[in-house]
Order: sequence, then structure tokens, then C-alpha cells
Amino acid sequence: MTRLTTGGSAINLEPGETVLQALERAGLDPPSSCRAGQCQTCLHRAIEGTLPPASQEGLTPGQKATGYFLACVCVPTSDLVIMRPGDVGREIDAEVRAIEKLAPDIVRLRLEADGFDYRPGQFLELIARDDLRRHYSLASHPDEDDFLELHIRLHDNGRMSRLLRNEIIAGARLRIAGPSGACIYEGVDPDQPMALIGAGTGLAPLYGVLREALGCGHRGPIRLYHGARNTSGLYLGDALQSLAGRQAHFDYKPVVLDPSAPLGGDVSALALATVTGFAETAFFLCGGENLVNRLRREIFLRGASLNQIRADVFLPGR
Amino acid sequence: MSTLFERIGGEKAVNAAVELFYRNLLADGRVARFFDGVDMNDQIAKQKSFLTMAFGGPNNYTGLDMRNAHKRLLEKGLNDSHVDAVLENLDRTLRQLGVGEKEVREVCDLANSVREDVLSRKQD
Repeated sequence: MTRLTTGGSAINLEPGETVLQALERAGLDPPSSCRAGQCQTCLHRAIEGTLPPASQEGLTPGQKATGYFLACVCVPTSDLVIMRPGDVGREIDAEVRAIEKLAPDIVRLRLEADGFDYRPGQFLELIARDDLRRHYSLASHPDEDDFLELHIRLHDNGRMSRLLRNEIIAGARLRIAGPSGACIYEGVDPDQPMALIGAGTGLAPLYGVLREALGCGHRGPIRLYHGARNTSGLYLGDALQSLAGRQAHFDYKPVVLDPSAPLGGDVSALALATVTGFAETAFFLCGGENLVNRLRREIFLRGASLNQIRADVFLPGR
Repeated sequence: MSTLFERIGGEKAVNAAVELFYRNLLADGRVARFFDGVDMNDQIAKQKSFLTMAFGGPNNYTGLDMRNAHKRLLEKGLNDSHVDAVLENLDRTLRQLGVGEKEVREVCDLANSVREDVLSRKQD
């Protein structure tokens, strides 16, 4: 018999029963609409167990690799532990190894935690207190770094910002949960051109993805566009510049916001004006909601498949 | 006699059509504004569900889903002229993909059959 575990409940599946039917039978009121594996209303994520391939049909390579599946067409053949797409999973302890400034209003937080498996480009939930939780992207690489690295913008009135500015020092204990997100180096052909486009601390996941691509021996040209409101916001600029000097197929394109420029003078304007071959390129977008949504639409209209537009949207207080 | 869904090429045909259809809609000034502010990945899944229905494929279509999905758009002024524009884009998409005349007409007829639900004019 196969068993389905979600949140606090365990459900024994009837023969031939789908995950959606089992969740409904247990009174968990899962969302659904087409019930035919198309509309994705019933999207869930498995964090343990093996998924039948049919339950991942039509999802992006990144979603497939991180366990997303469609509950309405999933008849499990092994035990599964699942959660809703917005959930982050169980919490574990983490210790602050280092915290330092990357820019006047950006800090780099390095954490140590046992048993936290992730892919570069994913994000985690940082929990300072039960009522103080924020999502931050990972800039580290699980094989190259023995710590988790986050780049965090400090806001004048943010509660987490105040804590990070005034109280959190090396040795402090926090909790984390996750990982989550599907903006990862997956479904990319080694010869495919890559365009990484981010603003502010949107550089963090892109930095992870960049290192993963280089580490995997990616051969196609890689362009990283990083936008900031002023020069000091172009953190890691020296490291990226020097990386571009050593790697012939990697190009670093920093851009400082200039509203008086003809096309808006921001990172999206520069990227849209200089990317060629939209239909062939693998895109990674990261930043605020407006930037990412605008870019996604423009890139799609210029011929890119939505499957090739991976994105991570920073939501306020996410 | 094979079904419309089989003749048109099944799920492969849906996959080939869905992005082209959505791109055509977003580029059409008559209807593009109705897609402002919607999650594109979410939307493309809905389009796929709709096309599967229109191609005569497996679906669990209910008029209620269609009415709920378009309620917000009615408030933004959705009317027959917009449904006409969407059908025109569907027709164009199918022709761009080289679908035969007979199949194009059958698909557009099926798509048109949900017009009353989309515009919330039909009562159960």
C-alpha cells in the first residue's frame, strides 16, 4: 500500500486513486479545475518519494527537477511526502558564520546548517522568530561552499533589517526552512546562450546559477546583466569583472539606473536591446515583481518559449 | 472515422499551438489588456486546457469554470467583439501551423460553443 503524507496528515491510498482524490477524501480541500493534467490548478510538490513521469508532463525542467507535479493525474507508485507549492517545509537550525556589508544597504549573511540540500538559484525562508520570516535567495553553491550565502537588502524600517543591522553577529542562532523555487540550471543545453538578468540583490541567485553553469562545463555564451540604482549597488562587481576576464564565454554587463536615457536606462532596457536570438536563449530573471513580469512578457513576445524563461520574483515581506 | 483530436495531432498539436496562440493574443491590441497583471505561467496552462477542449481532446469542461474564469474580465468590459477577436487569433494560429481547412472550422466551432459561458449569458 502506498502512503501519502502532507502537513500533519498521512493518507493510505486506495488502488488507482490519484493524489487529488486522496486529498479530497481526507477533507483537505485541495484546489483543482480541469482534472485532466493541463490547467495546473492542482500543482503540488513532493519532497520525498518518486513521482510517476505522467504527473510531471507539461511542467518546466526546473519544476520537474524540484519535485513539482500535478495531483489530478498522479497515481503514486511509492510513498510520497508532499506540500502545496507555496509551502517551504520543515524548519532546521542554522548558525551565523559571518555577516558583512557588500554595499551601504546590502549585507552578506553566511550560515551553517546540517542537511540542507539545495540547487543554486533556489531560495530559503529565514526565521528569526516565529512571527518574523523572510524569503531570501541562495547565492552559494552546495558543492563549492560549506556555508549558505544570502544577500540581503536592509530597509530603513524593516524588522528583519533592524535585527540584521543591530543584533545578528557571528555565532547567532537562527532557523531556516526550504529550499524552494525552480529558477535553476536545468533544461539548459550546454551550447545554448544564457542571459541572466537581475536587479539589486536579484544578483544572488544568478550568481549561484552562473557558478553552477560554469561548473557543469557550459559552453554557450553567458551574459549577466546586473542593474542597480547607483554604483555602490553593483556589489561583487570586481569579482564578476575578473571572472569575465578569465572566462572568454562569460560577459558581465553592469548597469546603473539612468532615467534620462532614451530607453529607460535600466537593466531591462539594456538586456532587451542587446540580447540576440530570443528563441534560442535560456533566460534567468530575478528582481522585483514589476521588472520580472515586464521582462518575461517582452522576452516571450520576442519569441522565447515560456519554458526557457526561469524567474524568481522578490515579493515584499515574502 | 478518427476523432478531431486524433486528426489534428493530439497533445503534440496542443503544445505546438499554445505559445503561438498566446503570443498572438498578447500582440493583439483588441484583447491584450485583458491579460495585464495575470501570471503568465498560470495563463499558459489555462490556454492549454482551453485548446485541448477546442481540439476535441480529453477534458472535464464545466461552464461554471469558464464563467468564473471570466467574471473579472466582464467587469473590464469583455464582450462579443473580444470573443470574436480571440476566435480570429485561434483561426490564424491554426493556419500558421498548417492545420487543414476542415479541422480549423471544427476547432473554431468548438471554441465558439463556450461563448455564452465566457460572457455569462447562459444559465444552468
